[in-house]
Amino acid sequence: MMPPHAAGAALEARNVGFSYAALELKDICLSLAPGTITGIVGPNGSGKTTLLRLLDGILAPASGQVLLNGSVPLSALSRREIARRIAMVPQNGGGSPFHTVFQFAMQGRTPHLPRLGFETAADEAVVREALEMTRLGDYLHARVAEISGGEKQRLLLARALAQQPEILLLDEFTANLDINFQVELMRLIRQLTRERRLATAAVSHEINLLAAFCDRIVLMKEGRIRRQGSVAEVLTRDNLRKLFGLDFLVRPLPSGVPEVLPVMDESGQS
Amino acid sequence: MRRLSHRRVAAVSLAMLGLWLLLVLLSLNIGSVPIGPGRSAGLLWHRLLHGGGGTPAEVILFSVRLPRILLGSLVGAALAVAGTAFQCLLRNPLADPYVLGVSTGASMGTIIYSILAASSGSLAASGAGIYGRPLAAFLGAVMTVAAVYVVGGAGRQAGEGSQRLLLAGVVLASFLSSVNVFLLTGTDQADLRGIFYWLIGDLSRPVDASIYLVAAVVFGGFLILYGHGQSLNLLSAGEEDALILGVEVRRVKAAVYLVASLITGAVVSVSGPIAYIGLICPHLGRMLFGSDNRILLPAVLVFGAIFTLGADTVARTVLAPVELPVGVITAICGAPLFIYLLYRRRYP
Repeated sequence: MMPPHAAGAALEARNVGFSYAALELKDICLSLAPGTITGIVGPNGSGKTTLLRLLDGILAPASGQVLLNGSVPLSALSRREIARRIAMVPQNGGGSPFHTVFQFAMQGRTPHLPRLGFETAADEAVVREALEMTRLGDYLHARVAEISGGEKQRLLLARALAQQPEILLLDEFTANLDINFQVELMRLIRQLTRERRLATAAVSHEINLLAAFCDRIVLMKEGRIRRQGSVAEVLTRDNLRKLFGLDFLVRPLPSGVPEVLPVMDESGQS
Repeated sequence: MRRLSHRRVAAVSLAMLGLWLLLVLLSLNIGSVPIGPGRSAGLLWHRLLHGGGGTPAEVILFSVRLPRILLGSLVGAALAVAGTAFQCLLRNPLADPYVLGVSTGASMGTIIYSILAASSGSLAASGAGIYGRPLAAFLGAVMTVAAVYVVGGAGRQAGEGSQRLLLAGVVLASFLSSVNVFLLTGTDQADLRGIFYWLIGDLSRPVDASIYLVAAVVFGGFLILYGHGQSLNLLSAGEEDALILGVEVRRVKAAVYLVASLITGAVVSVSGPIAYIGLICPHLGRMLFGSDNRILLPAVLVFGAIFTLGADTVARTVLAPVELPVGVITAICGAPLFIYLLYRRRYP
């Protein structure tokens, strides 16, 4: 495990605790470094979404702190200030179904506008670029109600990119996407993470997708971080078996990235 | 879709104000005593420059018709703006102060205040006399919103929430209007027809000095809501999204509910609960100017005035010399629209 108080972290959770209904998050120490993607893996109900909401300041930690740039606690910032620096792609993004794709993505510019101001041509350019990158350039005037689930997912990413954040949080981001879009968008996210020095965190059940694109992996179970570190360090058969209570086949690909397969065949059980 | 700017908002608002002014002049000329447009414009001009005289035509124009025109405009503007705010917060195009029971709650506050004031003469004599009515109406409005939230919000799931709130509002509105009738029948009131009219929404009763307070509340409230335009846009996309995009959701929601209830209560204390203005005006405003609250709110403010003034002009002329309460006309226009929206609404 890496030292919890990493230098140069864009966003850092220090001993964060939080409890909510049946779930209790305890002693969460996690730092997101600029230019890296951190994948968060864990069974349902392990607190992954709650962790992302704590990292975005939507939930306030009951103990510990979430710090921006290693020094500024999120609790000291307004929602608007946070939204200029942290963008989140939520699991079930809302949106008025009567908005057009372009109007929806434009919402990402709101935190940057003056209080009583309006979007300018520069804001439109940012939004257009974000929609082009997410392959929605041909849908600008389509209604949000009319686009497919996968297109909606890409639209939520476009809105987050329009925020021009320093930190990007993705919750079950690939859930509604075809395999080709999963790969294409993870490529885009990795490229943006590197070029714009974003600190990115992605929650997903697609372990192999995270293994291929992340720099670090965090394993969560029952509100605690069980393991964190490089992909090869963390995604081992032993760790995964403890996490999911299921046997896994783990083998390294030629690139060195581990490939993970759950063992589902009853007869093949060891 | 053209980009919004301060210029465009100002242009739309001025155009709407011009339209309203035209309707004011037109409405001045309509009534049981015909006074031609040229004559009334001349008298108005003379009055603005040199002060008023006491001819019968002037009394009709400036003591009877003009106050009623201004009152109708104020009430309509307020209800339309409050409706726009409620629709954003509940993310439901069917919400408005009347449907949600807020108007009926406000009128109950007014009625209870009037009964108390009548039974203890001191209340009316003291300073509370002028401000007591709007204050009581505001309390009635706020308590109704709270009750709608408790009834409709219990154990709600995301998504179905606004439907339940709306249903709770509809039920509460019919309950409260029965209570209102009960309260009024129990009191010893001579002016039954006046009360009956007021319960439907009526602009024919004379106003007192509290109208200045009501006007200040309406315009102050509008400015506060306008200041929250960006936040209201994001809130209509959903609360979680609004949080992510930088809205202090709890604070903004509380402020907007309070202000929308306040301006509803303020005007209802004067006009009674007029139906559906808060439903029709935002809806037509959205068709004309789009759903961005930064242009919709000012447009709807004037549009509400235009619509209500038009409805009231019809109300006082269609069966002349008998005058209908304005609420009859707005309900006749509004109920079919409500049904149409209900029918057409696509559930995502």
